[in-house]
Amino acid sequence: MFKLGLRSVLAHRLRFVLCTLAVTLGVAFAGGAMVFTDSLSSALKKNFAVSTADVTVTPASPIQTGTDRPATFQIDLVDRIAAVPGVAAAVPQLMVGNVQILGPDGKPLENYGLTSFGAAWPRDPGAAPFKLVDGTAPWGGRQLALDESTASRAGYHVGDQVRIVTPTRAVTATLTATTTPAQAGAAAGAPLVSFDGATAQLLLLGKPGWTSITVALEPDSDPNVVSKAIADTIGDAVKVRTAQQVTTDGEHDLDNTFGGFGTVLLLFAGLALFVGGFLIVNTFAMVVAQRSRELAMLRAIGASRGQVTGTVLAESVVIGFVGATLGLLVGIAVASAIRFGYELLDLRIPTASLQVTPTTIIACYVIGIGVTVAAAAPAARRAGKLPPVAAMRDDVHVPERSLLVRVLIGAFMLLMAVLFFGIGVGAGGLPGTVLITLGTGTAVLAIVMLNPVISRYVVRALMYPFGRKAPVTLGRRNAERNPRRTSATASALMISVGLISGLLVIGASVKASIDKSLVDALGTAEILVTNDGTPSFGAEVGDRTAKVPGVRAVQRVRQQSGEVGRTNVQVTGVSDGTLAGPVTTTFDAGSAAALDAGQAILPRNLAKTLKLTVGKPFDLKTTNGTHRLTVGAILAPNRQLNAIVVSLPTYGTLGGSPSDNLLYVEVAEGNQVAQVRTAILDQLRKDYPTIEVRDQEAYAAVAREPVNGVLIAVGFLLAMAILIALLGIVNTLALGVVERTREIGLLRAIGMDRPQLSRMLRVESIAITLLGAFLGLAIGVTFAAAVQSAMVDDGLAVRDIPVLQLVIAVVLAIVFGVLAAVWPSRRAARLDVLQAIASE
Amino acid sequence: MSVGDVAVRATDVWKRYGGGLTQVDALAGVSAEFGKGRFTAIMGPSGSGKSTLLHCLAGLDKPSDGKVFLGDVDLTTLPEKQLTHLRRDRIGFVFQAFNLVPTLSALENITLPLDLAGRKPDQDWLTTVVDTVGLMDRLRHKPSELSGGQQQRVACARALVSRPDVVFADEPTGNLDSRSSGDVLEFLHRSVREFNQTVVMVTHDPTAASYADRVLFLADGQLRSELVDPTAESVLDAMKQLESRHDTADELAG
Ligand SMILES: Nc1ncnc2c1ncn2[C@@H]1O[C@H](COP(=O)(O)OP(=O)(O)O)[C@@H](O)[C@H]1O
Ligand SMILES: [Mg+2]
Repeated sequence: MFKLGLRSVLAHRLRFVLCTLAVTLGVAFAGGAMVFTDSLSSALKKNFAVSTADVTVTPASPIQTGTDRPATFQIDLVDRIAAVPGVAAAVPQLMVGNVQILGPDGKPLENYGLTSFGAAWPRDPGAAPFKLVDGTAPWGGRQLALDESTASRAGYHVGDQVRIVTPTRAVTATLTATTTPAQAGAAAGAPLVSFDGATAQLLLLGKPGWTSITVALEPDSDPNVVSKAIADTIGDAVKVRTAQQVTTDGEHDLDNTFGGFGTVLLLFAGLALFVGGFLIVNTFAMVVAQRSRELAMLRAIGASRGQVTGTVLAESVVIGFVGATLGLLVGIAVASAIRFGYELLDLRIPTASLQVTPTTIIACYVIGIGVTVAAAAPAARRAGKLPPVAAMRDDVHVPERSLLVRVLIGAFMLLMAVLFFGIGVGAGGLPGTVLITLGTGTAVLAIVMLNPVISRYVVRALMYPFGRKAPVTLGRRNAERNPRRTSATASALMISVGLISGLLVIGASVKASIDKSLVDALGTAEILVTNDGTPSFGAEVGDRTAKVPGVRAVQRVRQQSGEVGRTNVQVTGVSDGTLAGPVTTTFDAGSAAALDAGQAILPRNLAKTLKLTVGKPFDLKTTNGTHRLTVGAILAPNRQLNAIVVSLPTYGTLGGSPSDNLLYVEVAEGNQVAQVRTAILDQLRKDYPTIEVRDQEAYAAVAREPVNGVLIAVGFLLAMAILIALLGIVNTLALGVVERTREIGLLRAIGMDRPQLSRMLRVESIAITLLGAFLGLAIGVTFAAAVQSAMVDDGLAVRDIPVLQLVIAVVLAIVFGVLAAVWPSRRAARLDVLQAIASE
Repeated sequence: MSVGDVAVRATDVWKRYGGGLTQVDALAGVSAEFGKGRFTAIMGPSGSGKSTLLHCLAGLDKPSDGKVFLGDVDLTTLPEKQLTHLRRDRIGFVFQAFNLVPTLSALENITLPLDLAGRKPDQDWLTTVVDTVGLMDRLRHKPSELSGGQQQRVACARALVSRPDVVFADEPTGNLDSRSSGDVLEFLHRSVREFNQTVVMVTHDPTAASYADRVLFLADGQLRSELVDPTAESVLDAMKQLESRHDTADELAG
């Protein structure tokens, strides 16, 4: 039976190639994702293993702070730890993220998304997270060291002047040494600048402090015992971990980081295979229809049902196997291309050899063969049901399940979907969105079920504008004549177009909502100063801005993280005048005066979550401990102040550092905003090259930016799914040409010329494309609109349906439909008229 | 016959298939004229080249040698596109089976050549044709809902609807029972008598041939004899004669 399957594969190369291609693309996504994440994380994990001290002590702040605001502790702790029995030496370390290293041209180095770190030069080279490569250790405020790859990338040599912007200030210093990159923790492999201890504290923290203590043990002491002893001595202000635990934690973090990336790729692998599945379903339905007489003959000469089913399944196993093999190879190629890309960028991401684990290989084959066999199974089962007498009959009909069952199931699911939508929109918020997503999934399945029944009417309606000329009518009827195949083909496109159009509508709505919320929130702050690249900047920026002529006032905003109970919160410190104009506020209860009284203002949503009202006290945990605050006012939703708001003095007592995240600049009357903006830039640019000074419009544009990034990235991956859907259309058309060879011969004989023949196929292709695009559009837009309704209070206040983009998407779909027909119609045109007529 | 009365003319038409040892001369120098408004039948044993001749006459196939004229147009030198349009506008064709496009109704099938040409059917003529084939009440039906005889009659109507110079029919009754055959042949006969249509029909059924004005006998790719105003009996006689001559030739060769 297997041999028969193999022969059939070889005899029909066309459908074999298209099926295999679909499997290959899907498996390549999956394989590439697994190989890449395995390689990267294994390389990084190796680094952990080599460079971790015996015991590491870090502050036990539960608060997840940004890398630029690490929790710190003071030097006295080092002495107390050194006194613990079994400890040979305790060395304080300082490592802070979000430092900017400027190139010789004064512009920040491009780090391709990697954070640069600043560190204190290690007191004890043995316990250091990085090593000296060349030169002498930096000393004092005018000397620094860079990791060698960053130095060579920027073109710096020992002795050069290097400019650095830290979270607190900008400095120029002489490069005295090059080092290895940091080899542990989040800083592993990242660009690294180091200073002597005192300078590092001043520049990186703006205050004394250390971020961790590495402990070396005396010989023969048990790390577990000593770390317990340290924990007992110091108390729960610190976290004490052995090398073993640090490694495990680090690996866990890495898995989380790269796991997310892998999951996204795997999701698209799933989508690609799902979409490709429709193509395979079609092809096997066709294979069985074409070979029905041969299969019935097998039954007649004694093959069992199972054996006949087996020959068909064997063919799918062959295709799945070849597709999986190619997919795995393509996946490995893609993963190594990504790695090669990173190497080209000269980033010292530790890139070990490509990790093609047995798990990856097995998974690829299981996925590839599994999906193909599953997609071929219905056709195979039908093949088994062919009655042996069919071999004698002239025209064989493969028994197909009645559409009635499908209609009933489909209608029921559609009802469910409507119900989900109704409840989802009513419920609102995240749970509502989840329900709507569920409803959309159900609706998609319902339409896939109902499609063979409704496709005819939808196609007729959609193709109405194309007129009733003979080739058009013929093409449209061809699209209608095999509803199952047409709708399976269109369904693949529907899913891709649905995702894209949903994405477009949600993206546009997010952008419009951002614009509106900014217009609502921004008052008299005509100019906004931020630091791109690092979240915060030194207070001197504000001081200098305030002195620029034409500036009426500068208001500062500072930010840190905290916890109330188990809820993560943001804490914002604002200077006195911030709420009196620069930011437009509406209070549900209380007023801005609460800030002067040392009280906190809570946004409405947070107050609701925490069940707090004006006058109630609550405990806020920050990096320096737990503080009792009183709710002074409740703020209506405000994009600029979606955090616990306190005055700057209060913010200081909460342990916040004295660097700003945002400056609101008010322009004095009689001055042009553009001129003042230029003046501020002139004042700051030289010393703070990464500071951005924007008017409200530009600020909104930046806020919209990430949406564009996400749209482009996801759009690209979805384009792959569309590509597979288009392969499906090519496949369906080509199958149609093979099946209808005699009919095409007849049409040519009675006078259809080649252009008309191409037109007929083009129309069929466009009909399928439009069907898929229309259904996809309907589902996508409905989904997005419903999500917007549900999320109206959660950041999606405005619904924006980008009609132009959607129209472009449909026009593109038609263009693709036309392109999909090119190759099949060329095949059809090449058919010899007489041979075609004579063909069976 | 004067040139003006000739619808189609074949002069010394050869058709070779394959080459070397396996070479087959499907047509070996056939010359014939088919008069306007005449019903000609072509007969001969299986494999004698009847279909090949018809295809060459209809511009579906190119002779290896020789000329085919439709009126004064030389089909053998016509480029593909013109040939297609000529088939559409000036030739009607009826095959033995699978004549109809399954997705189109009977009426749509009938008007298909006109639709392809972008021409409007002449309503009176269409009614006349449909009436003659007796399909008035079946026009909305799909081919799968019609009997074999009805399908062939639809095919005949399609061949006639564009008022072609010639209608070619390749064993149009080959798959039909005698009653349905009679209907189809009667229709072809009437189209010649009443509408002055030119018809060339391949058949191996003497009764079918008796509907024609003239019968040409083909064997081994060559015209052997001709019979004017045939009856079923005279055709049968002629065939027998042809076969015995064939046998004698074989014996001589052997
Ligand atoms: N495409 C072809 N290739 C090779 N030989 C062919 C082809 N078509 C027809 N022939 C040969 O030409 C001869 C005449 O065929 P045909 O015209 O179909 O005969 P008829 O219609 O009289 O039965 C036969 O011997 C047949 O085998
Ligand atoms: Mg024949």
